[in-house]
Amino acid sequence: MNKPTGAVISAKSSTKKSIIDFLEKAMDKGVFDAVIVPMRVPAGDSFAYVLIKDKSLFKDAFPIPPVMFVQGAKAVSSVTRLGKGNMKIAALMRPCEIRATIELAKLGQTDLENMTLISMDCPGVLPTSDFLSDPEKGMKQFDEAAKNLDDKIMRPVCQICDKSSMMAGDLHIGTLGAKKDTFFVISNSQKGNDILDKLGISLKDNIDSWHAKVKNISEEKLKKRKKAHKDLKSEIGGLDNLLDAYNQCINCHNCMRVCPVCYCRLCYFDSDNVKHPSEDYLQMAESKGSIRFLPDTIFFQMGRMMHMSLSCVSCGACEDACPVSIPVAQIFSMISDETQGLFDYVSGRSLEEPLPLVAYKEEELHEMEDAND
Amino acid sequence: MTKTLKINKNVEQGILELLRFLLDGGKVSGVFTLKRINKEGSVAYSLVTRSDELEDAVPLFPLMPVNAGKLLSRFSLRGKSNKPVAAVVKPCELRAFIELVKREQGSLENIFFISSTCGGVYPIEMAVDGAVENNLSKYWEAVKKGEIPAQIRPACRGCVEFKPYTADMTVDLVGSSDIDKRCMILLNTKNGEELAQDMKGDFLEKELDKKILDKFQNKREAERKKLFDEIEEKMKGLDGFIDIFGKCLGCHGCSKVCPICYCKLCEFESPDSEYKPSNYESDLKKRGGLKVPPGTVYFQIGRLDHIAISCVGCGACEDVCPVDIPISIIFKKVGESVQKLFDYIPGRDVKEEIPLLTFEKDELSEVED
Amino acid sequence: MKKDEEFMPRILAFLCNWCSYAGADLAGTSRLKYPPSILPIRVMCSSRVDPLFIVKAYLGGIDGVLLAGCHPGDCHYEKGNYYTRRRFALIKKIFEELDMEADRLLLSWISASEGPKYAKVATEFTEKIKKLGENPAKNKIFL
Ligand code: SF4
Ligand code: SF4
Ligand code: SF4
Ligand code: SF4
Ligand code: SF4
Ligand code: FES
Repeated sequence: MNKPTGAVISAKSSTKKSIIDFLEKAMDKGVFDAVIVPMRVPAGDSFAYVLIKDKSLFKDAFPIPPVMFVQGAKAVSSVTRLGKGNMKIAALMRPCEIRATIELAKLGQTDLENMTLISMDCPGVLPTSDFLSDPEKGMKQFDEAAKNLDDKIMRPVCQICDKSSMMAGDLHIGTLGAKKDTFFVISNSQKGNDILDKLGISLKDNIDSWHAKVKNISEEKLKKRKKAHKDLKSEIGGLDNLLDAYNQCINCHNCMRVCPVCYCRLCYFDSDNVKHPSEDYLQMAESKGSIRFLPDTIFFQMGRMMHMSLSCVSCGACEDACPVSIPVAQIFSMISDETQGLFDYVSGRSLEEPLPLVAYKEEELHEMEDAND
Repeated sequence: MTKTLKINKNVEQGILELLRFLLDGGKVSGVFTLKRINKEGSVAYSLVTRSDELEDAVPLFPLMPVNAGKLLSRFSLRGKSNKPVAAVVKPCELRAFIELVKREQGSLENIFFISSTCGGVYPIEMAVDGAVENNLSKYWEAVKKGEIPAQIRPACRGCVEFKPYTADMTVDLVGSSDIDKRCMILLNTKNGEELAQDMKGDFLEKELDKKILDKFQNKREAERKKLFDEIEEKMKGLDGFIDIFGKCLGCHGCSKVCPICYCKLCEFESPDSEYKPSNYESDLKKRGGLKVPPGTVYFQIGRLDHIAISCVGCGACEDVCPVDIPISIIFKKVGESVQKLFDYIPGRDVKEEIPLLTFEKDELSEVED
Repeated sequence: MKKDEEFMPRILAFLCNWCSYAGADLAGTSRLKYPPSILPIRVMCSSRVDPLFIVKAYLGGIDGVLLAGCHPGDCHYEKGNYYTRRRFALIKKIFEELDMEADRLLLSWISASEGPKYAKVATEFTEKIKKLGENPAKNKIFL
């Protein structure tokens, strides 16, 4: 694809409403049979992704909610893991959710053939617990902060996210750099082009202002990100510091369970491989006088880094679900920038890029090899 | 009357002395106990084999990072322990382990249990910012007076099973005013007596103070009623249930930490519970829309069906729920009511069969048409 | 459904092969009258019914679930129905505790020769469910 092109859409009522109108119109024209969008739950204290076919349900739809309850990739994967199905579905999600979806597609956990992924400029999300402590207040605070592009109250990884407008799906909704009461619809794939074509939206508008604003923000954020990672590294680098960081871990594996790219039905770290006879545990204890029980905390954390840091999208879901507030996502975002950097890979950037560990080049990574060879 | 060991030290020091005695004298090869891992009041279970490693041990610390029943199951899952070990656990942890043993997920053999009358534990999140540490003196003041310490887990606030059923030794804690000066350990079983034999201290005959514990029980019962009434107010049919669980992430963290949910592959994560594209199509036809991933209510009611009969009301599930759903109170309430059907108290006695694995010919006529 | 149309519930009936299924068959061949509300599923023993089937049916929008097996003492596998009774008691209690219309669930013992009993149970249960109305789970989204 060349540089993505776009169209200016007018949003007289509100961006949210216009996005819904856009989806509804697409359903009317038969472009989509169903859509996956966030909806406020009946009790009003949270949001959930809902697969909607009945258009009357759109009245409760809520694009760009203030929190990320379930990582959207999990929602898409639950719908298409066992096959693409007969329905044409559009999913409206944040960029990191789309990127995780693309990673899952590469991992064979979702079939995107009938799926259209629509991302949007993401202002970040509130930490779930902050939101839950007072949902109404959370809504207001989020709206205010989103309007002012102020990320201070967002998840720590959102504050250093340089990919908050990254286009990885088929269509993107751009609000940055748009004139009052308008937004951009930008296409990022042939599928996206075809859909806009069917809807009679032509991609002829000038979206330079969006490109410029996005560039500006991501450069700024990248600086912040690098600094944050550097600081974190000095804090948790070295085995002792790492142990310290995970000191309070209770081995609940919540972090793995909410992580969109940790898809395994039975995690290695819950399998029989980590269950030992009592003699072994006693022997381990005897060699040191005392062991923590269970003894696998760091093994699990490093194992997970090994297994999925190449696909981590720095969404922050893990950190939000950790009962003892370990900055898991910040640690993973630091590690994954490094591991992905090794292979010049960016998780979820493109469906065409193969997962680094299932591809290789004959000439690469010599710096890892023993110079004497 | 029960043979009782009295050690003239404060209660924590007393137990540590006992544990050292057990390790040094070779009476046990290892000790399961909570140990401090930092100064801010975080603790973790440890398996200690050398008595000098007991320095940071805090066997009675009011936190339950993991239900120890789960840990002891991991320890003895691949065959019984060949060497004797002692475990200092809370009553609901002991009961949970017994339920696991009934499910062939561990073995009681060669494990000796030291438990206590239990004042309750704090939610795990309070361990993070040092809040537990700051509350410790208040906690022990309340326990001494036989009062319910403020801010403990809701499940603990309403727990009436605070006396261990089958511990080899029971430390007298709740309502005993002089735990700063002495440590009373009731030796309930022959194993308990043998372990404590030759220990420095006085041996006497004693019982837990029934009057004091009854009073404590009443306070707990009142709290429990309050908690149950509150949740009953919300648990009104399917709509009420959806209101409570609408924010559930489906992370299944609750079942992961629940000591009773031992399955390697949970039914609700198995292929049987997965939706096929055709399921979505038919559901959409019926409902017009469906929460994705689906299955929240099915999981919750299903988990109740699977484990409410053995729920020990420990509160571990609620502690890890990322969206603060009062799961432990719901499971405790439903659990107690199904347990009552069969006059069953989970973990009371390893010989009592799990009600669903047995039957009586003449019973339950009220559920028949 | 139109307002004036009478509500005809859909009831899922798990019928034990050795007794209740035959009982239902007998009711049919004897031309006994009972409403067309029952969707029978034949199982080899009432104890084959995992309580989760009941939960799934309820959440799927079925208006009532009938679980029918041999009379106590008559189970083809000797003890199956005793276990069934306990499991049923458990799931019914859970429904009661959650205030979820436990009346939509029914356990009945119907032998192969009890065609009339089957017809009676089917008729009465249908009437009861009619009074309860449609299962509210039918159009719930947040399940
Ligand atoms: S490890 Fe954490 S930040 Fe990375 S993708 Fe998984 S949940 Fe998101
Ligand atoms: S969520 Fe937190 S406590 Fe649980 S395993 Fe992950 S890091 Fe450890
Ligand atoms: S359901 Fe919750 S309270 Fe009950 S045993 Fe499991 S973790 Fe403990
Ligand atoms: S919910 Fe049921 S299947 Fe899942 S772990 Fe618990 S007992 Fe096992
Ligand atoms: S821990 Fe909480 S959010 Fe996770 S599945 Fe259980 S109830 Fe739902
Ligand atoms: S065979 Fe009929 S109930 Fe068991």
